[in-house]
Amino acid sequence: MDPMASDAGFDVGDRSPASSGWEFVCDFEVDYGSEEHAKIVYATLTVDKELQPDKVKRQMSISDGKLKVHFEAVEARFLRASFSAFVDLMILTTQIIEEYN
Amino acid sequence: MAKNKTLIAVGFEGSANKIGVGVVALDGTILSNPRHTYITPPGHGFLPRETAHHHLRHVLPLLRSALDDAGITPADVDCLCYTKGPGMGAPLQVSAVAVRALSQLWGKPIVAVNHCVAHIEMGRVVTGAEDPVVLYVSGGNTQVIAYSEGRYRIFGETIDIAVGNCLDRFARVLTLSNDPSPGYNIEQLAKKGEKFIDLPYVVKGMDVSFSGILSYIEATAVEKLKNNECTPADLCYSLQETLFAMLVEITERAMAHCDTKDVLIVGGVGCNERLQEMMRIMCSERGGKLFATDDRYCVDNGAMIAYTGLLAFAHGMTTPLEESTFTQRFRTDEVQAIWREKSICGE
Repeated sequence: MDPMASDAGFDVGDRSPASSGWEFVCDFEVDYGSEEHAKIVYATLTVDKELQPDKVKRQMSISDGKLKVHFEAVEARFLRASFSAFVDLMILTTQIIEEYN
Repeated sequence: MAKNKTLIAVGFEGSANKIGVGVVALDGTILSNPRHTYITPPGHGFLPRETAHHHLRHVLPLLRSALDDAGITPADVDCLCYTKGPGMGAPLQVSAVAVRALSQLWGKPIVAVNHCVAHIEMGRVVTGAEDPVVLYVSGGNTQVIAYSEGRYRIFGETIDIAVGNCLDRFARVLTLSNDPSPGYNIEQLAKKGEKFIDLPYVVKGMDVSFSGILSYIEATAVEKLKNNECTPADLCYSLQETLFAMLVEITERAMAHCDTKDVLIVGGVGCNERLQEMMRIMCSERGGKLFATDDRYCVDNGAMIAYTGLLAFAHGMTTPLEESTFTQRFRTDEVQAIWREKSICGE
């Protein structure tokens, strides 16, 4: 319902201990202001699994109309590629909701 | 499903460098079919990431004009169809994601469609060809196909690159324009060709191979042009004659196998009028007929996906949201063409 990109919060960093291998982490959330809309985005984007699960992991969850996304990767370039492709499709889904809701 | 003829589908195609959205009724009527092509500068091909960005920019404006041109609202739609594959991963994903979101918002079922089968069904419904041998030639595919016992069987195919890929990449050597397509510009230039340059001719049984021909012409073209031994037009002409003769040969062999007289040409290279002319001569010598279409239906478009999805939908097939994936590899003969088993519709 409401434009939501303004509510996005980003947290990117290499906080995990190096020994785990999954050193590169990115967390962000988008506030859709609607549980229903967040669920549509979740259901749309959860179908496609990460192509290299040994290099990038993605987790999503919904709470209070917010979609939370968590990425972990073994190298920065894998994180960047997965993240940017994901965000492109998240924007498309959001536009579709705005136009055809 | 009592009122079969009123069923309407929206189809999304984005497996290569075109994104298209089509609206189609079950009797084959195309209500709208807008598309947009990602055209790269001369000398360059299209890459997955950039192509996906092109599709992301155009898919929603195309959907809007497809609905407006067809004069329908989302409520009139019976199913949403998309190209599951084969094709480039990132561009395919754009259509899949769009259809998933719309399916939830509009409360409409999804139908996943095989791109190659869609070309065949579009060709059949537009031309009225009933049971032809099909030559499917495009930038990504080269197959000779015929229907047998529930599936479209592949009788012959390329063992390396597609014929359209061979043409596209040769156009890059000559830095021909990619607008409207490299193949179109090769075809126009070939009309001015006068001298035939001998090129390798590579038919292996029912199959063809193009990569060696491409390597050969890439290597010799520069040399011959530099020495003024031939013109770019001569090379385009010679390449077309060689490639198309190979395609006509394997098509004719498949016709003999299947005891079929008619040929249908589909796919982007199928708009080439020289290919159509050569095939028409072969068909007439065998007492058969050539069925071909122009660029509106040959070239990738949304209507072909909508129509083929609608055929499946009318026979009770849908794709659950969780299974609405895409795949780069998806062979023509993996699909059970249930709509051809019983002669109910679409004919």
